[in-house]
Amino acid sequence: MDLILQLLFTGIGIGAVYALVALGFVLIFRATNVVNFAQGEFSMVAAFVMVVLSVDLGWPYWVSFLLSLCAMALVGAVFNLGVYYPLRHRSFLPVIIATIGASIFLANSVLALYGPQPQVLQGWFDTPGIQLGPVYLDSQYLLIIAVTIVLVAFQYWFFEHTLLGKKLQATSQDKEMASLLGIPVSAMIMLTFVYSALLGGIAGILVAPILFVSIQMGATIALKAFAATIIGGFGDVAGAIIGGLALGVIETFGAAYVSVPYKDGFAFLVLVLFLIFRPQGLFGERVAEKA
Amino acid sequence: MKLTRRGFSGALAASLAAPAFISRAGAQGTTLKLGMCAPVTGPAAEQGRYAQTGAKIALDAVNKAGGVLGKQVELIIEDDQTTNPGIVLAFSKLAAQEDIVAFLGSIRSTQVHAMAPDVLKLGKPVMIGGTDPALTHMGNQWLFRFRPNDSYSGRVLADYGVNTLGKKKWAIVHSTDAFGTAGGKALTEALGKIGATVALDQGYANQSQDFTPVVLAVKQSGADILGSYFTFENDLGIFARQLRQLGVNVPYVGSPSIVNVSALKLAGPALYGTFGVADYAEDSSEAAKAYGKLYREAAKLPPDNQSAWTYDAITILCAAINKAGKTDPQAIREAILATKGHAGAEGTYNFDANGDGLHGYNVVKNDKGNILFDKHIDFND
Amino acid sequence: MSATAQAAKPVAARRFRGPFAGALAYAAIAALAAVAAVYTPFDDYILHILVETATYAIAVFGLTVVLGLCGQINLAQAAFFGLGAYAVGLGTADLHVSFWLALVAGAGVALVMGALLGMSTLRLGGHYLAMVTISFQQILTLVMINWIPVTHGPDGIGNIARPALFASGHGFLGLCVIALALVGYVVWHLPETKLGRSMRAVRDNELAASVSGIDVYRVKVAAFALCALLGGLGGGLFAGGFSYVSPDQFSFAESIVFLTMALLGGVASPIGALIGTALLIVLPETLRFLKSVPGLYLAIYGLAVILIIRFMPDGIWGFAQTYLRRLMRPAPFAQAAPDLVLVPAKIEAPSALEVEGLSKHFGGLKAVDGVSFSVQRGSVHALIGPNGSGKTTTLNVLSGLYAPTAGKIALDAHDITGLPPHARTAAGLGRTFQNIRLFRSMSALENVVIGAERKGNEIPPGDLPRGHAALVERARAALGFVGLEGRSRDPITSFSYGHQRLIEIARALAGNPTLLLLDEPAAGLNSTEKLELRGLLKRIAAKGLTILIIDHDMALVSDVASHITVLNFGRRIADGVAAEVLRNPDVIAAYLGAEPDVAHRA
Repeated sequence: MDLILQLLFTGIGIGAVYALVALGFVLIFRATNVVNFAQGEFSMVAAFVMVVLSVDLGWPYWVSFLLSLCAMALVGAVFNLGVYYPLRHRSFLPVIIATIGASIFLANSVLALYGPQPQVLQGWFDTPGIQLGPVYLDSQYLLIIAVTIVLVAFQYWFFEHTLLGKKLQATSQDKEMASLLGIPVSAMIMLTFVYSALLGGIAGILVAPILFVSIQMGATIALKAFAATIIGGFGDVAGAIIGGLALGVIETFGAAYVSVPYKDGFAFLVLVLFLIFRPQGLFGERVAEKA
Repeated sequence: MKLTRRGFSGALAASLAAPAFISRAGAQGTTLKLGMCAPVTGPAAEQGRYAQTGAKIALDAVNKAGGVLGKQVELIIEDDQTTNPGIVLAFSKLAAQEDIVAFLGSIRSTQVHAMAPDVLKLGKPVMIGGTDPALTHMGNQWLFRFRPNDSYSGRVLADYGVNTLGKKKWAIVHSTDAFGTAGGKALTEALGKIGATVALDQGYANQSQDFTPVVLAVKQSGADILGSYFTFENDLGIFARQLRQLGVNVPYVGSPSIVNVSALKLAGPALYGTFGVADYAEDSSEAAKAYGKLYREAAKLPPDNQSAWTYDAITILCAAINKAGKTDPQAIREAILATKGHAGAEGTYNFDANGDGLHGYNVVKNDKGNILFDKHIDFND
Repeated sequence: MSATAQAAKPVAARRFRGPFAGALAYAAIAALAAVAAVYTPFDDYILHILVETATYAIAVFGLTVVLGLCGQINLAQAAFFGLGAYAVGLGTADLHVSFWLALVAGAGVALVMGALLGMSTLRLGGHYLAMVTISFQQILTLVMINWIPVTHGPDGIGNIARPALFASGHGFLGLCVIALALVGYVVWHLPETKLGRSMRAVRDNELAASVSGIDVYRVKVAAFALCALLGGLGGGLFAGGFSYVSPDQFSFAESIVFLTMALLGGVASPIGALIGTALLIVLPETLRFLKSVPGLYLAIYGLAVILIIRFMPDGIWGFAQTYLRRLMRPAPFAQAAPDLVLVPAKIEAPSALEVEGLSKHFGGLKAVDGVSFSVQRGSVHALIGPNGSGKTTTLNVLSGLYAPTAGKIALDAHDITGLPPHARTAAGLGRTFQNIRLFRSMSALENVVIGAERKGNEIPPGDLPRGHAALVERARAALGFVGLEGRSRDPITSFSYGHQRLIEIARALAGNPTLLLLDEPAAGLNSTEKLELRGLLKRIAAKGLTILIIDHDMALVSDVASHITVLNFGRRIADGVAAEVLRNPDVIAAYLGAEPDVAHRA
């Protein structure tokens, strides 16, 4: 039982990381119908910026954090202008490939600028964790779970209860109609990319104390987060969260009770099974993509 | 920003054509040439730089002392891109230059496996750092190893844990890559021979983000000592921290990565009090200390095994060619195999018939982040 | 008729001689290249590069098929490459079977895996496919690493044997060149086959492809399986060439390399694939000065991918081709197009189409609600109604794009309610779209040939040429009928909107349908074009073809239609002879009183 509780906590913690990155996927997908394969690199870039500011330059944590987020907003904007926007009238295929190119570019630019050594980034708390009975709760995982809850709540409020949020929703549902209603569609898409880069950045900075800051950190998380997005039903925020948490838990228990080396395979196996037997995702109604 | 389609294509065409006009220059015959495959690019590019520095320090010393066979020695480096096809290409490129008399291969076992068929075909000596025991036991007489192979690291870990620390119930955690699998196997075998038991033998895939299931398995196995083979430092860092968080405090002896600089930085206090085997330990001998001094001067970095083996390889290779008195591959081979009692940075080289130069490891202790030399364990077989 | 037949023969003969001479020249060049590969004294380095290029290029040809021809993404080509390589590795080194057997087995395993993977996900397409291929790639890599008893794990497999005849490095290169040439020939000619044309149609417009009678799903699976097969073949040869394989050579990163090779060279043609492969193998070797800083080279690589996609979407070869094409325009047809013959359906049921109690609900919205009508054979029947009345939904249900909530559809007394679109087309249903759906990368003629190729279309008897030439003649006849035969070689994009509409109608006519569905054919046309359309519809009707037309243009409808069914709010409010229906007070009220409603236009 102790064992199960400990595994469950870790699974949920990892799952929350996937869910956080998956949120960014969902946003961009809803706004542009495009899967951003560079979403994981947003996390990686943010973590490296944070290392430069708070470790190398020794600036205070919060200043570094806010500046990192500013940098991510910029990355999101440039990403939109350089990768998505010029291709917005083409089919999804060129866009997917361009985002893959962007992912290679971002990862290797950081490698060229900073070198291949993994870096350490401290967390927000000095205490590494709490022993709660038989279960050890890593404080950083607790923080990630909390931030995920807050961000999901914020996102819900933002999309359902603010004018800007509603405009964004209108844009994602029908661009032509939105522009007829006087909504500046390009600006809305820009905003989506910026927000999504911020989300990715927050996820990156949050997981850095656990996974360390490395060039590869983004890619692995992003693939799992993407799987979570599909399991949750594309474009469904709640689905992506549940999908992420489920993946984290399945992976952890799979590793404990089936096989450690094949751990990464579980996520993909679950994904393939979902695609074959329940392609609409957990709650989704949409079967295929928009025609 | 007004980059037109035509403009871009023009620029692309020009950049593609340009390298063709850069002609290859190089004098022939005035120097003695050695080839080296090193990861200039790819995931191990950083380590590749260390390896090149080590080789160049040795080269400078050799050339200052008059070179080899009266000629200055020149090292021609080809990028192996840290991949298997990359090293095959790099090696074939070097092999095509007939005046290269011997080569330095890779520290990565899979890369040595990949290039081995071509080495056999070419029939010239290749110095290697890959530690998979099979490399010198598969009938390829042209591979010479300048690091102790994993059967020795396994034996040293087992010997130290059982005879020095007095622990007999082991948990083994290893990466499922070539290095980790071979290491885990060697440790299991060595433990079997000295009568210790293996309570858990657990593999994991590289770049795992979480080790909770592994740590819990270690905890549940009831082992009183832990041995590990980790390939990547970030994996080791996550594992070590979770080990401590989940309350596993048994003695811990690990493969070389446990004491490398990057692992120390990432894991911090989680690795305090652990033991590691290290083929290079700065305090293990006078030769190691002397090399450490040279390397710190040249690279402004603490020395490690990545550079120590290439340093030893160049030094011993050049000495062997001088002793052979000619560049005939068979003569060089015999001269290398005849090398006995050479005090190198990595240890004392006594080549055996298989081409293995070293037969033991240093055991070092992580004392609050400082790596202290503990003892050297050597085997005679 | 006889004049047409006489005219057709020389055409056929010329078309036969052309490709044959081309194939001969190609074979000669390929043989020369193979001989050069064997006898030129390359050093080992060049030999390795050439073997790598040839074997990779075969795998990249696979991407030419799946991505270039069929428009589907495959991010697991390295996995299929790996399957072939491991089959040859394990087969020759461990099981000691012959190289050829292992090569065939590897390619076969890759083919089967590709087909299975395709079958499980190609219905979803797009992003899902991207994700599933990545998953497959990752799982296969894990299996290669961890299933040590079989795969040897991360150690990889050494001592891979080559066939005795090609044991030397040069000999093996010769073999690779021959394989490359053969596969290249097949891929080069694939677009001219029925399967290849179907793939292109699927890539350009899945909806239009399915209503032109193409089984979209099957074509996609075929493309994917073919791609996997070529991956496996290339991988098997690669293993023979390098005599050592290990899991890291077939990772996700390699799949991206394959993809980039295809994109850089030009995804539409095997020539592009070869250019891209050669460049990306030679380039890393020549651009070493960029590689002194780790990551810099790959960063530029990533940037290049973005720039190629942005500025050179057709790759280097596609870019070069736009200039070559101007120089090499195909010769115009020497003979005039034959007359279009429309063969009436065989079953003499009283009505061509019988619709009974048809309903289509979207959630709570009853877009079509219990509609019944029948279309008399040989008549022009119009379906009208105000905006939002359910006309287009009805049409989409009729052509199989939507599954009906309730009701029955019979074409020629044959129940087609449960059939997918392409099967309805095979059963004799042709249609056009309100917003024109043509295959935009093709010429007018190629578009119409795809229509002519529908399953069940028996080209009218006579001593016309068979095979491809017959299809071309049929397509030219259809284009001639709509008055555009003179421009049949022009790309679709060069036609005006009105002409594109005519080409779409010609595509449907070439399939010799029992019933032609026209969805707002007059939409977007100017008054001259509308006049032309009216004339065309009358000419079609005069040939005895049954037409069901939907349109707003009452002048057009009242002029051409003999029967009219009127819908409002998803229900039928009138049905009968045109003149009577148009005098019906309910109909007049519906048109004058109803608010425009755009809620569910498909």
